[in-house]
Amino acid sequence: MAIVETKGLTKVYGSGETAVVALDHVDLTLDAGEFVAVMGPSGCGKSTLLNLIGGLDAPTSGTVVIDGREISTLSDDEMTRLRRERIGFVFQFFNLIPVLDASENAALPLVLNGTGAAEARRKAEEWLGRVGLGDRLRARPDQLSGGQQQRVAIARALVSEPALVLADEPTGNLDSKSSEEIASLLRQVSAEWGRAVLMVTHDPRIAAHADRIVFMRDGRVVDDTKIADAASARVAMERVGLL
Amino acid sequence: MSIALRLAWRYLSGRKLRTALTTLAIVFGVMLIFGLNGVLPGMRDAMQRMMLAAIGEVDLTVTSASSAPFPAEVAQRVAEVRGVGAATPVARRTVAMPAKPDYKVTSLVVVGIDPATAYAVRPMPVADGRLLEERDDAPDAAPAAIASRATAEKMGVKVGDAIVLPSASGTTEVTLVGTIDSPAPPGSDELYVPLSLAQEMFALGDRITDVDAVFEATADRTAVERAVKDRLGDAYTIGGIATESTLAAGFDAAAAIFNVLGFFALAMGGFIILNTFRTVVAERRHDIGMLRATGASRRTILGLFLTESLLQGAIGTGLGLLAGWGFAVFVSGVLRGYIQGLMRMEDFGVVFEPQAWVLAVGLGMGVTVLAAVVPARAAARITPLDALRPQIGDVYEKAATRRAWAGLALIVVGAALLFVGSTGAMGLGCVLILVGMSLGAATAVKPITDATSRAIEAVYRSEGGVARANLQRNPGRAGATASAVMISIALVVMIFGMTSSVLGGYGEYAKRTTGTDFLLIPNNLIVSGGAVGAGPELAQRIRATDGIAAVATLRYAPAVVQGMTVQVIGIDPDEYGRIASFRWTEGSSDADLERLNRPGTVIANGNFRGQTGLGKGDTFTMMTPAGKRTFTIVGGGNDYINAKLPTVYVSQDALAELWGVTTDIMVLANAKEGADRAAVRAALEGIARDYPSFALYDSAEWQKVTDNLFAQLRATYTTLALMLAIPSLLALLNTLAIGVLARTREIGMLRAVGATRRQVKRMVVGESLLLASVGVAAGLVAGVPLSVFVVKAITMLGLEFPYVFPWSGMAAAVAIGLAFAGLAAWYPARQAAKLDVIRALRYE
Repeated sequence: MAIVETKGLTKVYGSGETAVVALDHVDLTLDAGEFVAVMGPSGCGKSTLLNLIGGLDAPTSGTVVIDGREISTLSDDEMTRLRRERIGFVFQFFNLIPVLDASENAALPLVLNGTGAAEARRKAEEWLGRVGLGDRLRARPDQLSGGQQQRVAIARALVSEPALVLADEPTGNLDSKSSEEIASLLRQVSAEWGRAVLMVTHDPRIAAHADRIVFMRDGRVVDDTKIADAASARVAMERVGLL
Repeated sequence: MSIALRLAWRYLSGRKLRTALTTLAIVFGVMLIFGLNGVLPGMRDAMQRMMLAAIGEVDLTVTSASSAPFPAEVAQRVAEVRGVGAATPVARRTVAMPAKPDYKVTSLVVVGIDPATAYAVRPMPVADGRLLEERDDAPDAAPAAIASRATAEKMGVKVGDAIVLPSASGTTEVTLVGTIDSPAPPGSDELYVPLSLAQEMFALGDRITDVDAVFEATADRTAVERAVKDRLGDAYTIGGIATESTLAAGFDAAAAIFNVLGFFALAMGGFIILNTFRTVVAERRHDIGMLRATGASRRTILGLFLTESLLQGAIGTGLGLLAGWGFAVFVSGVLRGYIQGLMRMEDFGVVFEPQAWVLAVGLGMGVTVLAAVVPARAAARITPLDALRPQIGDVYEKAATRRAWAGLALIVVGAALLFVGSTGAMGLGCVLILVGMSLGAATAVKPITDATSRAIEAVYRSEGGVARANLQRNPGRAGATASAVMISIALVVMIFGMTSSVLGGYGEYAKRTTGTDFLLIPNNLIVSGGAVGAGPELAQRIRATDGIAAVATLRYAPAVVQGMTVQVIGIDPDEYGRIASFRWTEGSSDADLERLNRPGTVIANGNFRGQTGLGKGDTFTMMTPAGKRTFTIVGGGNDYINAKLPTVYVSQDALAELWGVTTDIMVLANAKEGADRAAVRAALEGIARDYPSFALYDSAEWQKVTDNLFAQLRATYTTLALMLAIPSLLALLNTLAIGVLARTREIGMLRAVGATRRQVKRMVVGESLLLASVGVAAGLVAGVPLSVFVVKAITMLGLEFPYVFPWSGMAAAVAIGLAFAGLAAWYPARQAAKLDVIRALRYE
């Protein structure tokens, strides 16, 4: 079943002679439990695609359907609710609240949704345990390594049991060892915990953990390939000239 | 704890310096409002106690509507009313006690009672000795007195002791024949003497000041009160002694002025809070973006920031209340000595009435939340995507041009209102100019600092340019800070303008109206109320003194005009004109003095004319003890002592005829040319010794007294101006500290490429000076109309002073601006210079 479906998705910044087409008629489908990586050179529209799917930005034309709901028709409040309940975000710079501890950061979406404090904390700590931070629940962001901070961010993205996790360069600010660990964790998110994961990355080794790689150039999807392992990912990348 | 509160608390405790500075801004404003409101009610109560004397536990008190004495037979008329159980005549006067002999009380209420009827109205259980008896009221009886045990103990006297009291004939010695157990009303010490003695002591003839009465047990109180009122007519007031409404109004006006100044302080605090929250929003863009992305609604974001402001407001207000209490205790301590020396007033304490709490808490919390609303709303409006972008232009700057135009429009309207002619329009104009300049401050930052930085760059050649660029890159923040400085500076100019004009004017009044060689005035400078006059023999003795050329006296009585209590000062127009004069207004001159000899004429002072709306040539009705009388204003003039209160001057013949007053409350005397001043003075001192409620001054001493008073007032107002400028220091410090923190990486880079610590320091100091220059320039411009307005507003009240341009205020304002700029820069500059280069370069 498709969790995400975009049709003719287009985003143009500016107008007239200065108009820049960031996204040009992109059709993309993402099924439940599927891990899709989006790759491409800088400025190809990867992040724009992610922002439009996450409802953070509005398309110039085309549609985005999340979990069966066409999001362009939603009001700001409805979109906020959809994000809160059905979409989890993971950012390159973690974006944790510096004054809250790991458990409080991970519980944020539930607290914002009105869940009781005890229940929110219990769920947050359960997810932190799953991502391997059961022993750092009370640590503040500045007491955690980059990899650990990103795990907190992933726990935060999963705590409200979303159908879709959007990850924008989740390893862009990490060393290679931590990057591998985070990629494996995202793999686990889709394979074991059944969430659709859409990840934007520059890193071929990280993209190789996905089920599918979508290649973009100049705002268009130029290739969309299922991969079985690192070798098949490498072949796909060579084909589109990324390697 | 809710997430909003938890976040607010942790954010606030995480940035200690900024939180402390922002909190201080609130603390300061709340402290001023709460503290000053804590001092004034206590002072007002003490003053009223002094003026009113104690009514005691009686059912009804009758006084004359004009507060003047009235015939004793009124007591009999009250006693005859059905439902009245007993009524007794009372002659009550508050006397300012001389410093010697020291009875440990500054004032005493002397109550003349009729022993035949008094105890039926007010039971007096004997503690020691005996009560006053009818034989004490006989013409040849030895002067006797009784007091409450507490008062006697306080005064250090016991039964059988003599007590010397000021009286119209100088002093009267009474013997304490007994003490009673009835407690005196709080803050008021009473001494009871026979009625006839009190009438003699205060030259009342056979008149009294009150009738006290009790009702029959079964009487309908309201019906009896109405019956008494019907019996006596409009000339009498039922219920209590008329309050000293003029002084009460004066205190209310002072409270209003202090509240306005406190509000100005809080408004400056508001700019600091605004800056802090703008910075906070800018710093937390990514947090906001993440929260919005993870499902926080705009309302939630708004709520988060408002919760933080509420928490900050609550902490600041709480501390401000505490500081206000300390401030009130300090100020009342300082004022106590000063005022008691001036007025021989009772002790007064710190009293916080409910409205002081409401005002302080409401404004403290209100201004904080209000100042945070704009940044909070801006934060809520940021889209998640904008917030998550690495670099965003300041959303506030987009509206800067629009705000500048709106500000300019307000300035133009405000400036036009200055010339309308009405004080109200002028006040509104000043406020509009201040608001307009605040709105346009962000836009004015660049042109003003472009000009002023030339001076800075002349001194700090290499650092001045960087300082200017740093300041100009965030004109919104600089504008808000400059607005806070502007308000401070404008207030400094206003206060200096006011003191220069008013004190200069008063000096002129003093010279003209009390500039005689010798002056005998009561210890209590305020003529009405507590002063005990002297009988005509005092002036006669002075006239008869060798070396005295001329003597003039002033007499006092109260009256009611248009429902307002006014002073009636009796002068002998001929003798007054010979040695003193008024400061004339309304085209009047010394020639008008002579017109007072005609019946039904008065000269009115500015305060009277301002409050009644009457002018030269107008006719009005005045309630006198002899009934309503019509008077015509034949001239406008002010004298120094009475300028503060609504006053009319009549001839002493009129005062004797209509008010029955023949006692003097001020004696002016000139020495003969060539007379031995020292000998004259010695002779006058001998006379003054017999009148301990009076103090003798020669012209040099009097000049010194007024100079000291003016110097004290000037010092008080200068302190006030400095205090009001403190928030601007906090604003500068806050902005510079924020700037240094935000530019940590840049400072690291500058140090890495070769900037010395000294250069970094100079950049911060330069920025501070530039920032202050914007505020000072705007404050000087806004302060002038404010000072004109205040002087004009005072003139409207009847105190006519020529406006003196506040050059000293301008100079003081520039000095304060420069000093504060240096002070504010000290800590941030030191922090910036101390930064470790490597850590600064890694700072995020």
